[in-house]
Amino acid sequence: MPPPALDGKESRAAFEREALPHLNSVYRFARSLTRDDTAAEDLAQDTFLQAWRAWHQYTPGTKCLAWLFTICRNLRARQAQRAQREEPTEAADLESLAAAALHASLVETDPHGQFLEMPDLRDRLRQELLKLPEEYREVVVLADVQDQSYATIAEILGVPVGTVKSRLFRGRRMLQEGLIEFARDAGIIADARSGGPV
Amino acid sequence: MIDCHGVMKRLWEYLDGELPVSDVEGIREHLAVCARCYPQYRFQLAFLAAVAHAGTGPGPRPAFAERVRAALASTES
Repeated sequence: MPPPALDGKESRAAFEREALPHLNSVYRFARSLTRDDTAAEDLAQDTFLQAWRAWHQYTPGTKCLAWLFTICRNLRARQAQRAQREEPTEAADLESLAAAALHASLVETDPHGQFLEMPDLRDRLRQELLKLPEEYREVVVLADVQDQSYATIAEILGVPVGTVKSRLFRGRRMLQEGLIEFARDAGIIADARSGGPV
Repeated sequence: MIDCHGVMKRLWEYLDGELPVSDVEGIREHLAVCARCYPQYRFQLAFLAAVAHAGTGPGPRPAFAERVRAALASTES
């Protein structure tokens, strides 16, 4: 239902002031979900059209970007007809410990992760991010690229905070596994398993 | 005093600024003196910076904003 006709002009002005400045952020989020420029434009545009239709439900001055992310993600879920399946995910603290174990394999070679600053690795990380299953990718993008809090992501996705943490940490660990494997195979870091530099 | 295991379990929450203030100080103190945990902390910082950089990506085409504005304008009629 559109906003009331009486304050239509004011509503549109508020929408332009609060929602439209987030065009690029919503597009980038849509791009991370769809992995396609054209589909991302369509999804981002639909997000703003839907946001305008629902603008009367938005409380001015609250977290507009998070609200737009919620709409975008819900539209995407509907488009993709994604089943509400729950991937078994380890508890968040177990994921953290697994990441620590992964890091232990780098202690002798590159403990501070300097290889992560190499251009090849940045490109690879972009690829690994797009390869992540969507339920992990969306959480990693919201937390690590869009800088949203666990609580806000939980609201956006409609899941408990514990699920956000588990998916986020699992996603990060999957990215690290992919990066470390790539760096070892490319000889960028030594393979501790073979006992010396490649 | 929090031990290495406890720090490793909560490191990402610490880096994400999601821990209560009461827990932050103990982890900070531990990281300052622990030769085992500090490299892990540095690695995770570098990793998170790399993800933020890699995930930002290019924005939409310049014409995209106009396209959205036109679509919104058409809803007024």
